[in-house]
Amino acid sequence: MAFYAVYILEAHPSDIWQMQSNVRDKVVFASPKNMEERASIANSCVRKLGIKFPAVIDGFDNTVEKKYTGWPDRLYLIDKNGRVAYKSKPGPFGFHPEELEKALQGLHLHASLN
Amino acid sequence: MWIKSKRFWTTVVVCALVAWTGFLLAVNRAMHKTPEEFGNFMKKVPMPAYFVIPFETMWSRARAGNINVGEQAPDFSLELHDKSGRVQLSSFRGKPVVLVFGSYT
Repeated sequence: MAFYAVYILEAHPSDIWQMQSNVRDKVVFASPKNMEERASIANSCVRKLGIKFPAVIDGFDNTVEKKYTGWPDRLYLIDKNGRVAYKSKPGPFGFHPEELEKALQGLHLHASLN
Repeated sequence: MWIKSKRFWTTVVVCALVAWTGFLLAVNRAMHKTPEEFGNFMKKVPMPAYFVIPFETMWSRARAGNINVGEQAPDFSLELHDKSGRVQLSSFRGKPVVLVFGSYT
């Protein structure tokens, strides 16, 4: 089993749609102007949130976000054949790790029966 | 008196419904645009207006996406945040992969 964080464009950058909760938590970033700036925010994100699994950064053209409709956050489980086994609803409302957990259990059950 | 007439209140309710429908149509249109365009729309919407939007239902529909469960996941190759290499999804055949999309804010 592999876990990857896919860092995509910011949900609430300070120059677009800032949230007061982010200002309170001092998580204030303007939209990055290039890939280096995006990578720098991604690095802060991984460090400050203590993300334990590896993170990849979506390209500046947001190709992967567009393919997966990942913004602002979303969960996917891809099975061993490369097929989508679970797709959450779009975040923030649809982001439920416990649903992913169930899907993972289902995948294990399926694997043990085959 | 005019203000107490049934016609007055019918007019008020009809106008409110028309305004609300127009507002929801505009929100729906914005939800189908890029995240940046949607964000720029939403930052102009005053907070109290959020409460008259059936946000979750509209958002789930607008952002349903093109990938369905059971379909082949689109391949990608992206760089790791610490620049230690690239990750190609299709290189994981034989092993399940969890993808957690998100950002800092």
